[in-house]
Amino acid sequence: MSYLDNIRNFSIIAHIDHGKSTLADRLIEKTGLVEARDMKEQYLDNMDIERERGITIKLQTTRLKYKAKDGQEYILNLIDTPGHVDFNYEVSRSLAACDGAVLVVDATQGVEAQTLGNVYLALDEDLEILPVLNKMDLDSARPDDAREEIEDIIGLDASEAPEISAKTGMGIDEMLEKLVEVIPAPKGDPDGRLKALIFDSYYDSYKGVIIYTRIFDGRVKKGDMIRMMNTGKNYEVTEVGYCIPGTVPADELKAGEVGYICGSIKQVADARVGDTITLASAPTEAPLKGYKKAQSMVYCGIFPAEGEKYENVKDALEKLQVNDAAFNFEPENSAALGYGYRCGFLGLLHMDVITERLAREFDLDVITTLPSVVYKVVMKDGRVLDIQNPSNLPDPIEIAHIEEPIVKADIMTPNDYVGSIMTLCQNRRGKMIHMEYLTKTRVQLHYEMPLNEVIYDFFDALKSRTRGYASLDYEFLRYQPAKLVKLDILLNREVIDALSTIVPEEEANAKGRGICEKLKEIIPRHQFEVPIQAAIGQKIIARETVRAYRKDVLAKCYGGDITRKKKLLEKQKAGKKRMRQFGQVTVPQEAFTEVLKLDDGK
Amino acid sequence: MNKRGIYIHIPFCVQKCNYCAFLSFNAESSPRKEYTDALVQEIRCRGEALGHPEVDTVYVGGGTPSVLDLSQMRDIMTAVSESFSVKPDAEMTIEANPGTLGRKDGVTLAKLQAYKYLGFNRLSMGVQSMENDRLHFLGRIHTAENVARDMELIRRKGFENVNLDLIFSVPGESTKDALSDLKKVLDLKPEHVSCYSLQIEEGTPFGRMAEEGELTEVPDEEDRRTYHEICRALKEAGYEHYEISNFARLPEGSAGCGFGDAGAKAASPLRSQHNSLYWDMDDYIGLGLGASGFAGGVRYKNTDDIEEYFAAINEGRFPLAEEHVNTPFDNISEAVFTGLRRREGISYEEAAAAYRAAGGEDAEGSAEQLFWQVFGDAEAEAREYAGRGLLIIDSEGLRLTEQGIDISNSIMSLFV
Repeated sequence: MSYLDNIRNFSIIAHIDHGKSTLADRLIEKTGLVEARDMKEQYLDNMDIERERGITIKLQTTRLKYKAKDGQEYILNLIDTPGHVDFNYEVSRSLAACDGAVLVVDATQGVEAQTLGNVYLALDEDLEILPVLNKMDLDSARPDDAREEIEDIIGLDASEAPEISAKTGMGIDEMLEKLVEVIPAPKGDPDGRLKALIFDSYYDSYKGVIIYTRIFDGRVKKGDMIRMMNTGKNYEVTEVGYCIPGTVPADELKAGEVGYICGSIKQVADARVGDTITLASAPTEAPLKGYKKAQSMVYCGIFPAEGEKYENVKDALEKLQVNDAAFNFEPENSAALGYGYRCGFLGLLHMDVITERLAREFDLDVITTLPSVVYKVVMKDGRVLDIQNPSNLPDPIEIAHIEEPIVKADIMTPNDYVGSIMTLCQNRRGKMIHMEYLTKTRVQLHYEMPLNEVIYDFFDALKSRTRGYASLDYEFLRYQPAKLVKLDILLNREVIDALSTIVPEEEANAKGRGICEKLKEIIPRHQFEVPIQAAIGQKIIARETVRAYRKDVLAKCYGGDITRKKKLLEKQKAGKKRMRQFGQVTVPQEAFTEVLKLDDGK
Repeated sequence: MNKRGIYIHIPFCVQKCNYCAFLSFNAESSPRKEYTDALVQEIRCRGEALGHPEVDTVYVGGGTPSVLDLSQMRDIMTAVSESFSVKPDAEMTIEANPGTLGRKDGVTLAKLQAYKYLGFNRLSMGVQSMENDRLHFLGRIHTAENVARDMELIRRKGFENVNLDLIFSVPGESTKDALSDLKKVLDLKPEHVSCYSLQIEEGTPFGRMAEEGELTEVPDEEDRRTYHEICRALKEAGYEHYEISNFARLPEGSAGCGFGDAGAKAASPLRSQHNSLYWDMDDYIGLGLGASGFAGGVRYKNTDDIEEYFAAINEGRFPLAEEHVNTPFDNISEAVFTGLRRREGISYEEAAAAYRAAGGEDAEGSAEQLFWQVFGDAEAEAREYAGRGLLIIDSEGLRLTEQGIDISNSIMSLFV
């Protein structure tokens, strides 16, 4: 019998807030690795933002020991996966490191689009899947319906799915037994040539980049010279070990095992997720398949807010990049906002995470401009330019045509909301490919949509129209020609470059009007009139005016209620702090991100 | 030693006005007797707790205090005089709305007689307008004729300190209309005039009408023109414009004066002593439903919930909704923004005194240095306002000009 027979490498697949992190906590607690008193809520989610949103973005891996009823002790390597569409590639690489997956379905909610997306990724990796029904402690649990959905929608046999409550710990032992039984042991040749998959990496200020890896063949130890097969870079291994969690050094890692490798690597981009590690002296023949370079789908400008230092922003962005291979940035100069950076992200959530971290971890006050996608601008002379900043769009006279990115969007929803979702998608230039009934009451809609229409507030609009029941999964499909124009916004007759957007020609008038109206709401009254105009080239297509005010005075303090008056003044002061000065016009900073949120729920 | 006053709130009205967001209940259908009893108990407990201190002012406001029965008002004032040591020369004000002084069955002097007997020496009347159509639109129960008649009775009963409230910028009202109202008010020769620009507040009938587009607010430009015309007319009539919304008659022969006027002029002796407590960081003890107080460096507010008010009093608790011990910064900040409401503005000395009163560390150097040390962030912008003629900053302190009043919130918000 081989040591491999006592290893199980697995992931947990779950929709946001279906209880993945709680389950991971229970497993860690059950297997005795972390004392109950050291348990923070949701141990694996180690970033504040993630904890607040209840989602895992950054992967964490944990090695658990479990003594099964057959008397054997098993090593369970729990490889956590991020739970959002922006991180599909990272999810797929984590899954590639596993031999099986636990599919957590909320027995009160059923299967969701994202879960389905991740299940497909797992099936693509040939993983054995163990469905479990969570939240069985709640009165609203309907396990039979959930089972039926798993069978109808995913096609997995759920008749023996363990019924658990990650919250109370109910059914966890049964689940672990089932896990050991269902999920296969890893295969691999410890004496073959080293072939190891990087499924995550992060930067540690003492050890350099720490690579999380699954060894498929061979072995690796301190002192070995390793090679990253896709980037071609060599490093000397300074430490290997297991994640228990944290990093606990070991002599070597061998085929079938999961652990970490350090090698004085300076940034995570040099140990890119999906790359294959081998020995420089005796390389394996071919890398593992599935490696992809990170590609930014969404861009936005990040500028220091009033009173914030440019250098501080630069430092923070550099620090974030060291730990995030998917995030990139370059300097940008805006006439309206001054010096800042153009930043690229995998998607909207990724962008939110980065901007939130700037505020929280680095205590920075920044302005983020409207997100933009990358347009392919085909010039009359045949050149093709990638344009992601509307201000850089060349003179329309020189442009042959513009192409925009299209995504495949899968929306899963209770059938009651199909009508309003179809209206929404139609308004967002979506093209329905087909619609299928997954069960009697659950529908999946397949759309092709311009990414540009998805990135602003599509997800919010979807949620608000369906009381939060619909779920969305999207992936890049292709570039497609479209009639697009640059829409400029003028405040007090001056173009504010940070407010320029690229919009479909046929919607330019409506969008221009909408933006002007929105700005009229957002921009406070000044002591003079402020005209707001929308323009395409020289042509003004919409206009609003912020009336001048001449009255900003409280006539009376009711019965000496000074506190009430003070609160009003404090509110006024706080409001002003968030303002930005353009010539004589003061604009609240949220204007730059709020202005395109035009969805009014109609 | 700081001055100290008492504010007593009577939350009942014959009818709620269309613009009023203040706490008041219908007088007919509300438990006035029960409220009076509870209030009396609160007054006694408060007096006891504070050790029966001396007070310089007593102010009974509302609502409409004059809707209470005389016996109820007597019980309240008896409790006040037994629980506090009211100074012999104290200013004692009662708010009395026109149309509530007489009995329903005819004119009577009984109420005025009784108020005088109970010690009141100042009356404040919510006149609001001297045009009957506008009074009706505002939801007032009285007419211009009632005002004139009441004023005559008031004078006949020997009240020599009377304030009349006036509201301007009522939808549809022009500057000319407002000045005509003012002229009619001045014909009654009040010692004190308060002029308020109508504010349309959420949750009032006017607020709802504005939302539904049935009401067109007077444009700011016109509102401000009216305000400055009113200030000018009152100064010409020999009043001191001593607070943003308040005017007090100066002694015979003195010329009127106001914000930003050069040269130190003596304050009118007819300024509201009680309201001045609010702007001078003096102590005031708030009593009754929803009343606010500031005593011993603590700001507090009573509950707005009448059931909770009764419950608290029954259980022998103070009916507090909030309580806040002022920090040195709270104190200096409040001293500045309340002080700026006054013609004389805020002096560095007063600001520093407020800072120290809350235990603020005495900084090295002068009061002026302390001031700008605390408000270092605000200085550049404050000087910018000064450069635009909206604020005066000199070696004594800071004060608004009359133009500065229009944007006083922006200036005050620099100091919070």
